[in-house]
Amino acid sequence: MSLLSIKSLSLTLGGQPILRGIDLEVEKGEVIGVIGPNGSGKTTLFNVLSGFLKPTHGKIHFKQTDMTGMAASERARIGIGRVFQNFGVFREMTLEENVLVALEALPKEQRLVLGDLKKAVHSTLKLVHLEDHAKKKANSLSGGQMRLLEIARTLVSGKELFLLDEPTAGVSPKMTGQIADLILTLKKEGKTVLIIEHDLPFIQKICDRVIVLDVGEIALQGKPDDVRHNGKLKELYFGADPTD
Amino acid sequence: MNYLLHILTMIGLSIPNILGYNLIFGRGKFLHFGPIATSLFSSYAMFLTLRETGNYLSAFFVGLLASLLLSSFFAWLALRLESDALGILTIAMHLALLSVVLNWSSLTRGALGLPQIPRITGMLSLPVFASVSIVIALLWIFFMVRVHRSWLGRELSALAENRAHAEALGINRARVTLSAFLIGGLGATITNTLYPQYIGLLHPNDYQFSNLIFFILCVVAGGPGSVRGVVISIVLLTSLQELIRFLPLPLGLIGPMRLLFFGLILIIAVYIRRKEIFPMQRSV
Repeated sequence: MSLLSIKSLSLTLGGQPILRGIDLEVEKGEVIGVIGPNGSGKTTLFNVLSGFLKPTHGKIHFKQTDMTGMAASERARIGIGRVFQNFGVFREMTLEENVLVALEALPKEQRLVLGDLKKAVHSTLKLVHLEDHAKKKANSLSGGQMRLLEIARTLVSGKELFLLDEPTAGVSPKMTGQIADLILTLKKEGKTVLIIEHDLPFIQKICDRVIVLDVGEIALQGKPDDVRHNGKLKELYFGADPTD
Repeated sequence: MNYLLHILTMIGLSIPNILGYNLIFGRGKFLHFGPIATSLFSSYAMFLTLRETGNYLSAFFVGLLASLLLSSFFAWLALRLESDALGILTIAMHLALLSVVLNWSSLTRGALGLPQIPRITGMLSLPVFASVSIVIALLWIFFMVRVHRSWLGRELSALAENRAHAEALGINRARVTLSAFLIGGLGATITNTLYPQYIGLLHPNDYQFSNLIFFILCVVAGGPGSVRGVVISIVLLTSLQELIRFLPLPLGLIGPMRLLFFGLILIIAVYIRRKEIFPMQRSV
C-alpha cells in the first residue's frame, strides 16, 4: 500500500494550467527526485502536497487518508514535513527556539513520546553539529547550516514524508555532502523523501527513483541512471538537437 | 506624595491593556488598531450593567464577556484579512462603536458619559487604589513574561516571521491568533474595570482614537514584543505625559502639545524600529 497516492492532480491558476493530471504512487521508504526545467511545476506540486495551494482537480491520499482539503498545519500534524527553497528557519529566533517551536507544534501524543523537549532540542542540534550555537539567533548561520537545521528540525519532529525543495541551493560543496548524509540518514530510518533538485549527480547518489516534470505533467520517470541517459531528458532541458 | 501616587496609579492601570496589545501588535505583528474599541465596548457593557444591577461581580463578568467577544471578532478578522485591511477595519470598528456610544444618549448619556462610578469597597483611598493597581500590574507583567516565553510566544513569533513556514511545522494559526487576541481582551478588561473607578467617570473622550497613539508609542518605543522594554516605556511615557502639564503653556495648548510631542517620538521610534514592526514576509 502506497504511503502517498496522487491521482489526476491538476491545478489551474489564473486560467493557466500549472499541473496537469499528475498520477504518482510513493512507497514508504522511497527517496524520489523531482527534476525538470524551470517553470515545470515542481515547487507548485510541493505547495499542493503541503496544503498551500488547493488542487483544481484530483485527490491526494496520505496513509490512506484523503488529505486533499486539509490545511497546511493539519498535513504537518499527520506527518508531512516541508523544507523550503528559501530557508524555512525563523531568523529572529535562536536555534534552540527554532527546534522547540517545531516540537511544540506536534500533536500531544507525539510530544509525550519525545519526553523532555529540552533534551530533544539538544540532540537535534547535536545531530547537525550546531549545539554550540544553541543560544544564537538563526540569522547568524550560513545558508548550509540553516538548511541542516531545517532538515534536522523536520526529522526530529517525527515526520514520515519529507518534501525537500532544492536543499542544496546556495550551499557550499562541503555542506552539500553533509546534507546528502542527512538525507541518507532519513532513508535508513525508513522515511520517505521527495526531493526537488537540479544537481543530477546528487540525485543519482541518493534517489531510488526520479520523476521528470515538464509543463506540469510527468514527462519521464524511472531509476536515476536510466533517466539520466534518456535522450528525452536532454531534450527537455536543452530542446531537440537539430542535427538528429 | 499624592501626585506621585497618582502617577504610579496611572502606570499600574496602563500596564495590563498595553502589554496585552504588545502581544498582538508587537509580538504577533498584527496591524490591529482596535484595542481602544475593545476597552470602550467592555467598559460600557460593565458600567451600564453596574448601573442597572449595582453588583460589581456580575458587571465585571459582563464587561469581560463583551471584551472577549469583540476580541474574538478581531481575531476572526485577523485570520481572514491581509494586514492592511485588518488595520482599516479595526479603525472603522472603533469609530463605529464610538459613534454608537456618543449617539445612543438614552442608554449611554452620549458625550456626558456615565458619572459617579463607585469604587469597590476597600479601594476608596488613593494609597490603597495605587497599591492595588501596582500589584495587579506586577502580576500581569509576570503573567505576560510567562506567555511570551511559552509556546504561544514562540508560535506567534514564528507566524509573524513567516506564516507559511510556521504552518508547515503544524502551528495552528487560528488557535494562536485567538489566544493572543483573548489575552489582549483580558488586559483591556482589567484596565477598564479600574480606570473609570479611579476617576469616578466613564467618558467617551477617554476612548478617542488619539489614545491609540499612546499605546502604539509605548510598544514601538519599548521594542515590539519586549515585555521589559514596553513596561519601561509605559513608566517613562506616562510620567512624561504628566510632567508636560507643568510646562509654562496656556491650558488649551497642553493637550495639542502633548499629541504633537508624542507624535514626534512615534515618528522617530517607527523609523528606528521599522524592520521590527513591518518584517518582510518571505514567499513559499
